[in-house]
Amino acid sequence: MSPFNMRRRRFIQNSGFFLTGISLSACGFAGGSNSSQSPSTPEATSTAASTAGGTLSLYAWADYVNPEVAQAFTQQTSIKITSDTYDSNEVLLAKIQAGGGAGYSVIYPSDYMVKQMIDLGLLEPLDKSKLSAVYDGLADNFKSLYYDPDNTYSIPSTWGTTGIAYNSKELKSAPTDFESLWQLRDQIKGRLTLLDDVREVLGMSLKSLGYSYNAKDPAQIKQAYDKLRELKPAVATFTSYDWRDQMLSGDLLVSQAYSGDALQVAKENPDLKYVVPAGGCTLWNDTVALLKTAPNKEAAYAWINFSMEPENSAKITEAILFGNPLKTVEPLLPDEIKNNPGWAVPPELLAKTEKLEPLDDATQKIYDDYWTQLKSA
Amino acid sequence: MSAPTLSPPAPAYPTRRLPNWLEPMVLLAPGGLWLAVFLVAPVGIILLLSLAPDIKPDDFNRLAEIGLGPGNYLNVFSPIYLLVIWRSLLLAFNSALLCLLIGFPVAYWIAVHIPKRWQNLVLLAFVLPLWTSSLLRTYAWITILRPSGVLNSLLGVLGLPAVQLLNSYTAVLIGVTYSFLPYMVLVLYASVEKLDRRLLEAAADLGANATQTFWRVTVPQTLPGIAAGSLLVFITSLGDFINPDLLGGTSGLTVARLIQNQFLGATRNWGFGSALSMVLILGVAIGIALLLKYGDRKAADI
Amino acid sequence: MTAARKAPPWEAGFSALMFVFMYLPILVLAVFSFNTSRFARWEGFTLNWYSRLLQREDLLGALRNSLVVAISAVAVAIVLGTLMAVGLARFRFPGKALYRGMSYLPLVVPDISIAVATLVFFAAVGFARSILTIIVAHVVFCLSYVAVVVSSRLSGLNPHLEEAALDLGATPAQAFVKVLLPQLLPGILSGALLAFVLSMDDFLIASFTAGVGSATLPMQIYASIRSGVTPDINALSVVLILASALLAGVAEFVRHIGDQGQAG
Repeated sequence: MSPFNMRRRRFIQNSGFFLTGISLSACGFAGGSNSSQSPSTPEATSTAASTAGGTLSLYAWADYVNPEVAQAFTQQTSIKITSDTYDSNEVLLAKIQAGGGAGYSVIYPSDYMVKQMIDLGLLEPLDKSKLSAVYDGLADNFKSLYYDPDNTYSIPSTWGTTGIAYNSKELKSAPTDFESLWQLRDQIKGRLTLLDDVREVLGMSLKSLGYSYNAKDPAQIKQAYDKLRELKPAVATFTSYDWRDQMLSGDLLVSQAYSGDALQVAKENPDLKYVVPAGGCTLWNDTVALLKTAPNKEAAYAWINFSMEPENSAKITEAILFGNPLKTVEPLLPDEIKNNPGWAVPPELLAKTEKLEPLDDATQKIYDDYWTQLKSA
Repeated sequence: MSAPTLSPPAPAYPTRRLPNWLEPMVLLAPGGLWLAVFLVAPVGIILLLSLAPDIKPDDFNRLAEIGLGPGNYLNVFSPIYLLVIWRSLLLAFNSALLCLLIGFPVAYWIAVHIPKRWQNLVLLAFVLPLWTSSLLRTYAWITILRPSGVLNSLLGVLGLPAVQLLNSYTAVLIGVTYSFLPYMVLVLYASVEKLDRRLLEAAADLGANATQTFWRVTVPQTLPGIAAGSLLVFITSLGDFINPDLLGGTSGLTVARLIQNQFLGATRNWGFGSALSMVLILGVAIGIALLLKYGDRKAADI
Repeated sequence: MTAARKAPPWEAGFSALMFVFMYLPILVLAVFSFNTSRFARWEGFTLNWYSRLLQREDLLGALRNSLVVAISAVAVAIVLGTLMAVGLARFRFPGKALYRGMSYLPLVVPDISIAVATLVFFAAVGFARSILTIIVAHVVFCLSYVAVVVSSRLSGLNPHLEEAALDLGATPAQAFVKVLLPQLLPGILSGALLAFVLSMDDFLIASFTAGVGSATLPMQIYASIRSGVTPDINALSVVLILASALLAGVAEFVRHIGDQGQAG
């Protein structure tokens, strides 16, 4: 047989092989869509709950699950807590949608992500009768938020701002606003990090251009992207948590940061400071919510109640230094926290903050494309 | 490798008591099925997904509605992503080259100048780090290269200015080269060890100097090893995720990281991610085809 | 004395330098695992990080998961891979080249592509993610490595022994277990060892196929590095390096035995 013929035969066999692959995959999709069209029937949930036994799995932002509180919970209820962490709302959603999150019960999405997840049918309506103490303890301004007006699917658990952490000893002029990052960019080259978060990063640029964090005009978003391209050479990396260690060791000078994380770092080293940008930033709140597919729902209710008891909640707040939406907690907190302007944001700065809102699919795609481009360039 | 033929199973065992088809089925079916179901079928699925423009996980049910089209592939070949692909190729090429330049003298030294009975031990000692967690080895480079790290402390002691290497292309190149150098040395050693020493001696006897002997005798004889080792490093670096991710900062977005972002990162564009994966598989396949073709020619020459 | 025999001094020096290069990062990890400070500045000797390591339940749990995954995947891979290698050596059939090509696929397709394909596959068939899905995905590449290593061992064997056993009245199963398997054992062992190490080291495929509570050691290490490192990770590396050195020693020993077997 001539080599040419042989190659040809191999080619034909290869294409046959790929065709079988495709037809197999078509069957797969039929199966996949069926299973996702019938979201957790009652039988399915009850068997899941019984097999999960005495463990409850949480998917949370770093440090949200306080080891001390979790241990006390296990002692009281003999339910074991396991937790994993994510570093942006989008990663949370990606993991849940990719199917790797099916075993989690309790998650901590932020405001706009709650709305998105409700619309995607991922969240379970909460049984308010089981959480009456928690609902009663909520401060009034957390009772009718746009993303979930009656707190049907979610309960606010923490709030904070996204500002700037910096090393006051090594920087000659302290940053006061996101605009400062552009002014300082030669001085902080390679020693600046931004959050690994599409909305916060593009939003910061939008805001410093005078637009809204929720801008939908493609021209404005492009302008924000172009402006970020100017900052990019100074950026060491995009990271949501990794910066803390590097700032403490002196490797970094400036980081875009969530308030609580920055205040924790500042507590460890007084040279490090947190500033709420004068020109405005995001005001966000994270929530606690239940996944529709959650195994062990009773245990989940028990955990929400336990972790939001005023004493436990205060303990968590003291550790992570984020704001607390429970009015019952504030009297329990030490003055050093309550008097910290990074924690108790002054009203004039609060007035300039903005909340992130979910974007329509088309706009989301524009954001995503620029985000990927920014990281690629 | 034998060409597929329609001949019956080789009549190796005349005293067969079982039906003819049973033994091959028992031997070949389990592994074959496992690979077909858990590797070939999945690759078929991403091939399908790669043809569904911008499909997201919540769009699965609307696959028919979205329809098939080349959108994702057109997107892959837009300038910004071509840059990412170019950067990945360049990284893979440079690390293969560096590994070759470093690995050849080491492999040659072990194979030619170390006494036979010690060779295995020395080789083992050189590739031992390969047995440790690759994540931890990369993490060690963070400790060394970070601004306040070991390297800068050392430079400070010597009175030299500090360098900023972490979160740069150079850092990724160091990490990748370090990670894959042992593979290169292993492959080259096998090749140099088979080198016909008599030819080296003959060349020397005929008056060739060391340089001439090296280029005229050693290199041509070890060329298959050089090609195989370089390709191995090239392919592995091309798909590497850990080094670019941990050492590259904003400068190190490679194809593997870009793909990861589409699935477990923020963007959730499974269609685009699948298209990138297919392009990566295709790239590797072309590399291997080139090697096979080259290898065949080499075999024909001898 | 010919030129080829004498090592130019630069060659030995360069090789020595490269040995330093290979071990420098490991040395750095080891040194800082005894450092009192969390950061890369030497401040004093301590064993603290080692005792803290024993309290890191996340890491210990992940180590357990990794061992479960690696041992299960390798166990399945040994059986499937060995059968596959023997089958490929023994039979000719239509589509054999294709089959052989498929058996090499996991070795050449980049990990990230395997990871992505497996993730999408499990999502498409609606298969719940757990430690089982990691094992299934790991068997794919483990079985290829076992098959390749066993194949190379097979090519050096004497086929007449098994035929003789069959002639003497052994059933094919008996001949396989009593004659062929003992001869293949060194190949199977070194293939299994290689697969074990690769499975223990895999980060990408595991992170794409893991379910809740099934994080493997590399996944947990990655998460630790990502959220700011503490030197207990350094301590962990020292422990793992010692374990690997031991394993590598065993592997070399097995290979040595194998070589002797082949020669005899």
